[in-house]
Amino acid sequence: MRIVIPIKQVPETGNVKMDEKTGTMIREGVESIINPLDLYAIEVGIRLKEQFGGEIIVLSMGPQKAMEAIREAIAMGCDQGVLISDRKFGGADTWATSYTLSQAIKRIGEFDLVLCGERATDGDTGQVGPGIASFLDLPLSTFTSEIVYIDEHRIQVKRLVEGGYELLELPLPCLLTVVKEISDPRLPTLRGKQRAKKIDVPVWGPDDIDANPGNIGLKGSPTRVVKTFHPQVSRNGKKLVARDAESINKAVDELIEFLKDRQLI
Amino acid sequence: MELNEVWVLAEQKNGIIQTVSYELLNRARSLADKLNVSLAAVLMGYDIPADEVQELIYRGADKVYLIEHEVLKDFLVEPYSSVLCYMIDTYNPQIVIAGATSTGRTVLPHVAMRKRAGLTADCTILDIEEGTGNLLQTRPAIGGNILATIKTPEARPQMATVRPHSMKPAPRDTGRTGEIIKPVLPDGCLVSRVKKLDFIEDESQGISLQQADVVVAGGRGVGKAENFKYIEELAKVLGGAVGASRDVVDRGWITYPHQVGLSGKTVTPKLYMAIGISGAIQHIAGMQTSETIVAINKDPDAQIFKLADFGIVGDAMDILPVLIEKLKQCAAQREQEAVK
Amino acid sequence: MSVRYNAVTQELVDKLIDIVGSKNVIWDDQERMENYAHDEVAEKEYAHMPDVVVKPADAKEISQIMKLANEYMIPVTPRAAGSGLSGGAVPVYGGILLSVERMNRILEIDKENLMAVVEPGVVTNEINNVIKDDGLFYAGYPMSLETCFIGGNVAENAGGGKAIKYGVTGRYIYGLEMVMPTGEIVEFGGKRVKDVTGYDIVHLMVGAEGTLGIYTKIVLKLLPLPTAAADLLVLFKDVDTAINVVPKVMTNGRIIPTAIEFMDESSFKASCQYLNETIPVAEAGAMLLIEIDGENKELVESEYETIGELCIANGAIEVYVADNYTTIERIWKIRRNVAEAFKVVSPHQSLEDIVVPISNIPDFVRGLAEIIDKYDVPIPCYGHAGDGNLHATVVKNPDFTMERWHEILPKVLTEMYELTAQLGGTISGEHGIGSKRKHYMRLVMNEDQLNVMRRIKKALDPNNILNPGKIFDME
Repeated sequence: MRIVIPIKQVPETGNVKMDEKTGTMIREGVESIINPLDLYAIEVGIRLKEQFGGEIIVLSMGPQKAMEAIREAIAMGCDQGVLISDRKFGGADTWATSYTLSQAIKRIGEFDLVLCGERATDGDTGQVGPGIASFLDLPLSTFTSEIVYIDEHRIQVKRLVEGGYELLELPLPCLLTVVKEISDPRLPTLRGKQRAKKIDVPVWGPDDIDANPGNIGLKGSPTRVVKTFHPQVSRNGKKLVARDAESINKAVDELIEFLKDRQLI
Repeated sequence: MELNEVWVLAEQKNGIIQTVSYELLNRARSLADKLNVSLAAVLMGYDIPADEVQELIYRGADKVYLIEHEVLKDFLVEPYSSVLCYMIDTYNPQIVIAGATSTGRTVLPHVAMRKRAGLTADCTILDIEEGTGNLLQTRPAIGGNILATIKTPEARPQMATVRPHSMKPAPRDTGRTGEIIKPVLPDGCLVSRVKKLDFIEDESQGISLQQADVVVAGGRGVGKAENFKYIEELAKVLGGAVGASRDVVDRGWITYPHQVGLSGKTVTPKLYMAIGISGAIQHIAGMQTSETIVAINKDPDAQIFKLADFGIVGDAMDILPVLIEKLKQCAAQREQEAVK
Repeated sequence: MSVRYNAVTQELVDKLIDIVGSKNVIWDDQERMENYAHDEVAEKEYAHMPDVVVKPADAKEISQIMKLANEYMIPVTPRAAGSGLSGGAVPVYGGILLSVERMNRILEIDKENLMAVVEPGVVTNEINNVIKDDGLFYAGYPMSLETCFIGGNVAENAGGGKAIKYGVTGRYIYGLEMVMPTGEIVEFGGKRVKDVTGYDIVHLMVGAEGTLGIYTKIVLKLLPLPTAAADLLVLFKDVDTAINVVPKVMTNGRIIPTAIEFMDESSFKASCQYLNETIPVAEAGAMLLIEIDGENKELVESEYETIGELCIANGAIEVYVADNYTTIERIWKIRRNVAEAFKVVSPHQSLEDIVVPISNIPDFVRGLAEIIDKYDVPIPCYGHAGDGNLHATVVKNPDFTMERWHEILPKVLTEMYELTAQLGGTISGEHGIGSKRKHYMRLVMNEDQLNVMRRIKKALDPNNILNPGKIFDME
């Protein structure tokens, strides 16, 4: 089974502190990691490889630094990587990103599955997975939470939707975007790390993927960010201390009054 | 001349229009009014009761494009995308919005790629730019820490998915009239390589998190898995849904569909109760647009209190039983009064 | 002996108010005073209410308070953040609880001498937050660094997870300004790297658990901040194999890791289960967590490779590598959640802090297994293998009544401490003796040793006013 996994390197947010005064995130010195949701896709890919054999190619569009993310994925158990990197790709929105990644996947050649994280924790759009499926005209399941059955020709999956799960059957090749429920990502091992260090990861530019210059980077992006601003996050409402029976009673009574005032109960 | 309409993608389940569609109509109505164009709902399905279709008009649609076919009964991305692409080619709307639901977030990107349209995900504010008439789409970015306003200067249509529950459903006006149009589809639109075999209801999800008016969410401060029953009970008393922080989902205290935050769901209820949740940035991203936030946490310095309209510093396990009991009394009282 | 002390009177409280101001005295407010009645030792019997809480702002005020306390014969218990684990900050005879919480200024960052001067009430991690941008760091690293105060770290000579490479708190204390039990304000040491002028009073005061004086200024040595770090999580089939690797790592590898943490089978299995962690641990009987830090990524990478290879050559089942925040956090979570995982079994626990020579860890774990069998209580054992400092934690068997628990716990502890002593160990590595372990001191110290300490205490604090009832009894 040949599996392609597009991943993204994102800023680590678990360790991020808030600036007390402005209520904004302190982003200096923030590490870059593999998008946490992509780890689920990587784990699913590795398990399928363990079951069926074959290979996993992980690709990422980003600056040179994104090579770290690719090597980490290889350390976990992916076989090869491709970095799509060039200044011309900069400023891409989800349209241009989906186009670029789908061009790169075309160059990779035949495959059975494309696995994507449901979305990236920085952009938080979830549009690139379905976008690649659209460009490559692949059958698609988004929000995939379980692989119920798979053979060389078809796959049955559960798809997490409002109020339950859909059971879908797709022919291969197809594209799945996966949610956390689907797997628990493994940690890279020392042997994996050593292997990842040695593998030659090619860097592809626009010509390597036969990209139409008008479709990539900022130029290829239909959307523009007009402005960004900080929402007021601080509400700093009333805060009561409840440590013993008496103060608990009092706090609960006040809370109920508060909820009544706001017509919430 | 009614070219360049504003469209909403209406959603139905078993022929019943989903609330998110009325929320979209409410938003889109003001956009259409500002642009002085018609507002249309696009509704795909099969055997949809006439009064359901009519309801879209009562809720603000000037037109309903009704496309019914067996294949369209349930959401399947390929035929839904093909139909919507065909409709866009035929009628040339300037704006197409859908809910940021599992459906909207799947089909809109699929369509946007094919139409080379600009698409913005999970918007919380939509407006029209003075002078140009461009759609201004505002969405939380970088984990909700900043809001970004995005527009699509040239490409058309302008597309966006909109956070469910971020606006009230449009009011019902039975005096409204509108047109129901049933377009004839070309061949090849209704093919799906993906087959839907079944729908498995997840009762543990209870009321859908994203549609609930009240979300009661538990975090590590709840102490242990067994204590989650208090969260569930409180949610039940308040008629709400159960949410959870990533940490407790990771620990297996509750399943992933309940997770609120950056790698889970984003919710916008009227009341969000954060119980034993410290308020990591990833969690805040998923709930900060809630109307009212109540926090209960042992740590007086927990980040969550900065966001809370009402906070109690204390052990959730001491406070919850008292709160549940008193809320039950309140409910009983109201019932008695209602009987009188 | 508590009869020697007088009760706190309104008159005394008025005088305290004169010194520190009325809003810095808590008196007659049980709810607010309750926060000062305990530290992080969970058992209620180690808690005791103060009669009055004072929050002085500087050395002068503390000096006046101490003089007053000697005059009125009222015990004074100094307190930093109250995150201790031996009852050291608990006013066991009531009296005055002296909290340094208002003395929380970083007075000076001396970049030329790589020193900082701080007040005792500064949160330890705050120091690092402030100096990080200058490429500096303070290497004291207690596990509670986000809440504990530096003053408490000095009093307990706190250790923590990075001690093998960086040592414990005392190594970084170059000078102290303190108020003596009798009220004099005295300075010892300073920003001098070498100093043999007279007795090394600074290091007598470090770790004195607040019985010999109250620190008011602390001179800390700073180091250049390491910018890269990585962790290895190494699975072994048994304790012997795991522990045998530790000296090999330190000698053959010629690398001093920042941490070598050990977890026995029951510890990591409980924690993994509690966290829902899916690392395959079924085959493993012991786990090491090895952290390396350094100048740059490449260096750290080559060091963890060397150590990892050593582990594999010496019988490791698997070596996992974490070199970014997400994965590092994931494996440290296993180590940090052992105690919490056992709270699900029972909230009644006694967190111990024994130290044995590293090579004796396997014998200790074997001896512990016998105690576990004999008394039928879980005792997960985990901690700082690189220092031989193990947090064996006696957990109440949930089937036992409280009476039975209280009856057997002293027996379990006595046997555990005796075992420790036999193996050349001692009963506290970093948490201190406080009130919790003082009755076991005789298992590891003889009367002569105790008497030397008593004479020092007597010389400096003739009325036994400052933090009485800690470490040892005076007679």
